[in-house]
Amino acid sequence: MTYIVSLMILVPLIGAVLTLLTQTKEQARSIALVSSLAPLVGALYMMMQFNSLTPAMQFVESFDWIPSLGVKYMVGVDGIAMPLVLLAAIVVPATIIYSWGESKDANQFFALILALQAGVMGVFTSLDFFLFYIFWELTLIPMYFLISIWGGPKKEYAAIKFFIYTHVASLVMLLGIFAIYFAVWAQTGIPSFEIPYLLEQFQFLESSMLRDSIFLAMLFGFIVKMPAVPFHTWLPDAHVEAPTAGSVLLAAVLLKMGGYGLFRVMLPMLPFTGSPDLMISILAFIGVLSILYGAMLALAQTDLKKMVAYSSISHMGYVTLGAAALVPLSVSGAMFQQFSHGLITCLLFMSCGAIQHIAGTRVIAELGGLGQKMPKLTVLMLFGFMASLGLPGLSGFIAEFMILTFAYITLPGYVLLALLGIVVTAGYHLWAIQRSMFGVLNDKLGHLHDITNYETLSMGILALLVLYFGLNPSPVLDMMTTNAEQIVSLMALAGV
Amino acid sequence: MAIDSLAFLIPLLPALAFVITFFFGKKMYSGGALIPIGAIAISCIISILITINLLQNPEVVVHQSYPWFAIFNLGILIDPLAGVMLCMVTFVSLLIHIYAVGYMSHDPAKPRYFAETALFTAAMLGVVLSDNILQLFICWELVGLCSYLLIGFWYQKPSAAAAAKKAFLTTRVGDVMFLTGIIILFSSIFTIYNGNLPEGIYVLQFNEMFKLIPELSAMHTTILGSEVSMLTIITLLFFGGAVGKSGQFPLHVWLPDAMEGPTTVSALIHAATMVTAGVYLVARTFPMFMGAPDALIVVAYVGGFTALFASTMGIVMNDIKRVLAFSTISQLGYMMLGLGMGAVVGMEAVGVSMFHLINHAFFKALLFLCAGSVIHSVGTQDMRQMGGVGKVMPITFITMLVASLALAGFGIPGTQIGTSGFFSKDAIIETTYLFGEHTGNYIPYIFGIVAALLTSIYIFRLLFMTFTGKARTDYGGHESPSSMTVPLSILAVLALIFGALTQTKFYRFLDETFINNFVHVNIGDLAELGNYHLVHGHHGEPLLILWMPIIVGVAGLLISFLIYYLKVVDMSKIVSRNNFVFKLLYNRYYQHHIFIEVISLQLTYGLSLVGEFIDRKIIDGIIDGISDGTIAIGEIIRKIQTGVVQSYATAVIAGVGLLIILLKLIVEVQ
Repeated sequence: MTYIVSLMILVPLIGAVLTLLTQTKEQARSIALVSSLAPLVGALYMMMQFNSLTPAMQFVESFDWIPSLGVKYMVGVDGIAMPLVLLAAIVVPATIIYSWGESKDANQFFALILALQAGVMGVFTSLDFFLFYIFWELTLIPMYFLISIWGGPKKEYAAIKFFIYTHVASLVMLLGIFAIYFAVWAQTGIPSFEIPYLLEQFQFLESSMLRDSIFLAMLFGFIVKMPAVPFHTWLPDAHVEAPTAGSVLLAAVLLKMGGYGLFRVMLPMLPFTGSPDLMISILAFIGVLSILYGAMLALAQTDLKKMVAYSSISHMGYVTLGAAALVPLSVSGAMFQQFSHGLITCLLFMSCGAIQHIAGTRVIAELGGLGQKMPKLTVLMLFGFMASLGLPGLSGFIAEFMILTFAYITLPGYVLLALLGIVVTAGYHLWAIQRSMFGVLNDKLGHLHDITNYETLSMGILALLVLYFGLNPSPVLDMMTTNAEQIVSLMALAGV
Repeated sequence: MAIDSLAFLIPLLPALAFVITFFFGKKMYSGGALIPIGAIAISCIISILITINLLQNPEVVVHQSYPWFAIFNLGILIDPLAGVMLCMVTFVSLLIHIYAVGYMSHDPAKPRYFAETALFTAAMLGVVLSDNILQLFICWELVGLCSYLLIGFWYQKPSAAAAAKKAFLTTRVGDVMFLTGIIILFSSIFTIYNGNLPEGIYVLQFNEMFKLIPELSAMHTTILGSEVSMLTIITLLFFGGAVGKSGQFPLHVWLPDAMEGPTTVSALIHAATMVTAGVYLVARTFPMFMGAPDALIVVAYVGGFTALFASTMGIVMNDIKRVLAFSTISQLGYMMLGLGMGAVVGMEAVGVSMFHLINHAFFKALLFLCAGSVIHSVGTQDMRQMGGVGKVMPITFITMLVASLALAGFGIPGTQIGTSGFFSKDAIIETTYLFGEHTGNYIPYIFGIVAALLTSIYIFRLLFMTFTGKARTDYGGHESPSSMTVPLSILAVLALIFGALTQTKFYRFLDETFINNFVHVNIGDLAELGNYHLVHGHHGEPLLILWMPIIVGVAGLLISFLIYYLKVVDMSKIVSRNNFVFKLLYNRYYQHHIFIEVISLQLTYGLSLVGEFIDRKIIDGIIDGISDGTIAIGEIIRKIQTGVVQSYATAVIAGVGLLIILLKLIVEVQ
């Protein structure tokens, strides 16, 4: 199994092509499910073989691609990437099972999901900036089509906004990549896009203004993706118009690419920027702003799905805050938040999708009393909401507790502000569920039925995983901590 | 010591019962009620056996610890404090579960009910036997979750759904303070160890925390210009959590609404599984409070004020459960007041306060279950529609009378004759007197004694309005089935005799909570750390002081008797006159209005709408503006691209000319 990482990218890609060629929706979804389960098996195998004690890259594959420009095909995983590979491998089959009843152009629909998976797997495992950027942009295209074909009434606006917004951010990031590439080339005489090598050489770049520019350019690319306030407005629109499967993948894996960039690229560079303290303050400020602003905005929403979208912004703010604190366990807490939020947010978007599908509306004021007709959905949705508001025993709490506790050591003021968001977070979740699921049944909703067995199965599996990682986070947390320690040790190396 | 190894089953069995009943209860007898009953019964037996072992050998406590994630652990600690709590929680919860088989027999959602109460019990047991503050917090939050689910049990009712949310959010405010306390505690410990936490020990375990009390007390920070010890900040934040959970002022607002759930749930919340958690938290971390006298004084004042404040509202309520709810708040205030007296009496404060907690659990569970029995029979909660219930429900009446006497603390000082409330509540009032004697500050005593008078008034008002006189409506009641009356009778016996039987033993047992193989804390040293002195051996109170609680109790009984039995004064006239005091009390000091309308809706929600405006109009406005601008510029530039070669040529020549001029200028400048 030397090429396991490549297979993780290749199998969904081939699956996508095969799915596209199918004639009926039954064939399409079966082939899609099989092709998405293969990476899950692969990811589980990698988890078992993974050595959590070393921060080094594992399962590395490296081939020259365009030697004259220093472009390589190089993939591998470490404690930062492995959990996210696992996350993508879990979320995609769950989404496919959830969408089992999709009948509009099912072959294209499932093919796009698989193509997205291939792109995401590529982003999380690429060790070459050239390759990384290709995969990064590759994820945009399936999502664009998922929104613009299967989306809601304002799908064109949302799809274009999503595409252009994140594409502009990617271009700024690309400028950063080129800058570091040419600068290192000029300094050492060796062209290379290899990520670890470039990050290592970053500190030797003479001009501190150049270093800061590279840092900020790439940071912009990542925080737009996360997204962080104030570069977030593309997300609610995209979510509202996207089909459920699109929203799930967008929130659960695409946003995580932004957070991944923070850990993979930004934090190793940070100690060597011209003014690390300023950069830390910027990150911490953006993090806390996202937490509070996202939570407040979620409270104001009238559309259930838009509320969940803003809650994503709020929760991703914890990732930024935990990363900025640069304490090993706050950084690994932030990584765990990415993993945990990926699982939890699936439940939330799936619930919203089911309500939209069955009740015909997601406007909270038009719902009410759904619990009486949809007990299974209510239980799963309440579970998801409780996980999202940070109930202990579930994975979200572990992440948020670690971030808040350990970030307090270096960033006490910011953490105290972030703590204010906890009550608001509980507030918008409970208020929404009170008005939609509890109370008197709204007669205008017509005939209602509970969620299908496929929907129950996918949501049930995710709920169990949220519980499992809430009780036993160590399987993914330990490997994260190993890498977080290494990242933080760079700070000491830089004498910051 | 074999029984110790079964300690983990105490919370685990009810938790398993939750899973089984939730998924498979539908097909079982009475919605699977027997599963949680059996599980809690076994937990109760294990708890009692372990506590008996502890009684014989209090310095060898049960302690087990396992690594969890990162640098945290999961562990079990059963010392005297935890032991008595475990016995109380499992026992009272067991009786309430048995009672619920009858009480909930007509409800179609029984499996969900019994599953959730089992989880509620499991979570509370988890709070009690945690050996570290993080695990305690986790179970503490699960208690909050279960209360949310159970208060909102009849979720179809909008008022129940609203009450559930209110309970969760209000306690969440306290929980955030508690969490902040843990975070600050951890970072302080981190600082004490200079960032190198020792391997192999878990710093959030209680013994490790207590070891560092002197260091924590020596750390200072400046808040608003005054220097405060870290220990004071941490303990006050912990107390903030307790204020939320134990319904202390100003976060008590959720508790009176919490009666939207089934009455059995109210009994669980008020007696066994929820509100006592806050008192327990303060008792559990008592050594830290001992090192921070300022925090202890705050505990005393908040507790004393709550005791008085809540009892004033108890007097005017007409809903039988609401009266009891205010009574709970008030009695919890007494427990906090008792703990706050640690500044003078040291560990005895924990004994006195916990003793009241246990006794209160018995008689308050009894009061609620009696109220439930009445409601079950007459079909209303409004006391104005009752009257004369005692004739049709003799067992309920007698047990309720016992519970009321216990709540009012009737007994004869200087003897071993008295209800359980007499031995615990009056003991708290005595310690407040002692506090006054030593510090010259009699305010806590005044809080205690006035609240005792009001307590007696409202509880006998309830008794007279409900059980005596003529039936005011045609409710046609009957005595409840034996599955309900048997638990009532058992609790009544305990409310009557538990105090007399166990008082001295109980104090002595709890005195040794913090001296054993797990932790060794010298309370006297901690008092010195806080620069104050404890009083030992105090049995010289004047006779009047000993009799004072009884005098006010009887006075309260008489007042209620005159007004509500003999009807010397017509209360309805005072009420109908729109009396200001009455309105203030009946509307609960408008605090609900302030919290819901002003803070939640106008302030928080208003702010979020402002955010929404910023997002839509400003941020999106800029984004759309940029895109519109790009398009507009494109439109303008498009016009230049006329396709006419002559105009291009003109532009080229003009450009070249401009360049030449520019170059010339540059050369001249140089």
